[in-house]
Amino acid sequence: MTAGALRRGGLRVVLALVAFVALVPLLFLVSLSLRSVDDVANGGWLPTRLVWSNFSEAFATVPLSTMLTNSWVVALGATLLTSVVAVPAAYVTARAGARGERLQTLLLASYCAPPIVAVLPLYYLLKQAGLTNSAVGLVLVNGLANVPVAVWLLDGFVRRIPLEVEEAGWVDGLSTSQGLLRIVLPLLAPGLVAALLICLFLSYNEFLFAVSFSQSTSSQTLPVGLSLFQGDRTVQFGQQAAASLVGIVPMYVLAVVAQKWLVGGLSAGAVK
Amino acid sequence: MTQQLERTALPHQRGDRTGRRAVPRRHRPGHVPGWLAAPSLLGLALLLVYPTVFVVLLAFTESSLARPLQRFTGTDNLVEAWESVAFAGSLVRSVLFAVLAALLTTALGVVLALLLHARGTRFGVVGTVLLLPLVTPPVMVGVAWKLMLAPVGGAFGGLFSALGLPGANPLGDGVGAFGALVVVHVWQWTPLVTLLVFAALLGVPEELREAAALDGAGALRAFTSVTWPVIAPNVLSVLLLELVVGLKVFDLVAVVTQGGPGLSTIVSSFEIFRTGMRGSYEIGTAAAETLVFGLVVGVLTTAVTLLRARAVRAES
Repeated sequence: MTAGALRRGGLRVVLALVAFVALVPLLFLVSLSLRSVDDVANGGWLPTRLVWSNFSEAFATVPLSTMLTNSWVVALGATLLTSVVAVPAAYVTARAGARGERLQTLLLASYCAPPIVAVLPLYYLLKQAGLTNSAVGLVLVNGLANVPVAVWLLDGFVRRIPLEVEEAGWVDGLSTSQGLLRIVLPLLAPGLVAALLICLFLSYNEFLFAVSFSQSTSSQTLPVGLSLFQGDRTVQFGQQAAASLVGIVPMYVLAVVAQKWLVGGLSAGAVK
Repeated sequence: MTQQLERTALPHQRGDRTGRRAVPRRHRPGHVPGWLAAPSLLGLALLLVYPTVFVVLLAFTESSLARPLQRFTGTDNLVEAWESVAFAGSLVRSVLFAVLAALLTTALGVVLALLLHARGTRFGVVGTVLLLPLVTPPVMVGVAWKLMLAPVGGAFGGLFSALGLPGANPLGDGVGAFGALVVVHVWQWTPLVTLLVFAALLGVPEELREAAALDGAGALRAFTSVTWPVIAPNVLSVLLLELVVGLKVFDLVAVVTQGGPGLSTIVSSFEIFRTGMRGSYEIGTAAAETLVFGLVVGVLTTAVTLLRARAVRAES
């Protein structure tokens, strides 16, 4: 065996190991979700006998379907709001010279602030507006909170669109904003898909705002519900694992299906 | 870019004899109208300006969850925050957590990116698998790791026995619990570094690397003199990003340790939440703590931003 082949083989083993470490918690959840209470207590990595009831029991123990619905409504609504705000903002940061730079700096500074800073003031604001324990409140907060991330990612994509394409539109009598809508937006599609997916993940995963502003059983998102499930006295490992998987798996499917856009979007946003 | 455009006369701008703009300002092509930034500025007002002002007001007044800003109390809240043992310790833990997490994720992530890059220019299947921790909700990450770390029915029972520590419980003592949280956080956030540094590596000119190899440079020398200068600005940006992410940590603590055992894993976000939004709802104290924490975060991120700018200048 040559040194090169040995090196490639070693590399493959190391990368396989890394992939395994990345997957371990998920695999363990899958294993737990298929075990009875006794089987869990025995320890070990694999079920001795497959039990499917944890999933149906998890739906019965906690209002899992309500939480799932709440999570999806909040995530989709927030992502929609983010896109409406972030697309014009990214156009400004990419095309408006010094003014754009200033907006970009402001947005990045706001991203650096830990969200806990805004929790108390936003609580009073949402309560005043009657938006606590409501999906609308969370959509508003999450949607706006993710704008800096979306702008940061989209900025690189706008810069990559040649100005000449837009100029052609202006010659035809389009204003800048019409050009943004009719020329830039369609060309922005790949970047927009990536940015929106990332914002969808961020909103779906968000916990601090959700647990602070939406605690009622009917308005809880999945992370909030699961964090409380965690606090129950009778710890049902199997059910907890099953409930977690129900929340995680759709995100994994999305991530795998959209891998190309995600990788492209994150890379293009970061490496300018 | 706009100045450049203004100099290029477009057809409908010709015949402008008066020296004034023939086309009204808002229709001037290439001029980016200010209102495009309005929604994002409104968002900043709502999520940055208003909270900052309101937290300052809350910090110097007495408030209940039902009625904010009841009466001016001077520095009482700040004194209260200052005297809170849990909060003072939480500042140290937050900074320690973020610095450890940023260094570990960045170092590991760069190594992984180099390994992936050594195999080829495609992110591939391993890359896809690596993305998964990143998209897992932190609460679920916490649940999964808490179950894995459980002394009974956990995943590491066999491993601990093999190491001669049967029934070991990392979450049972302070250092172990803090360390476990760092490990879990690193597990979740290293992939982001790998992805971003991998993208940066694709920008390293292949000819340069070949030239270095022809000149007899070893792998290490080629890395330090060819690869590193190109990716350094990106690596430093990622380090800053990970520092910011580490300072925000809340979910993991809330799910895995609830700050315990004792006070050993209480970070500032968790302590402020515990003070203001739970228990006796000490809004004023929580607001004062928020001010102090915000200041610490501001100083730390500014310092690292400046250091990064200096390092990037030194490299180029």
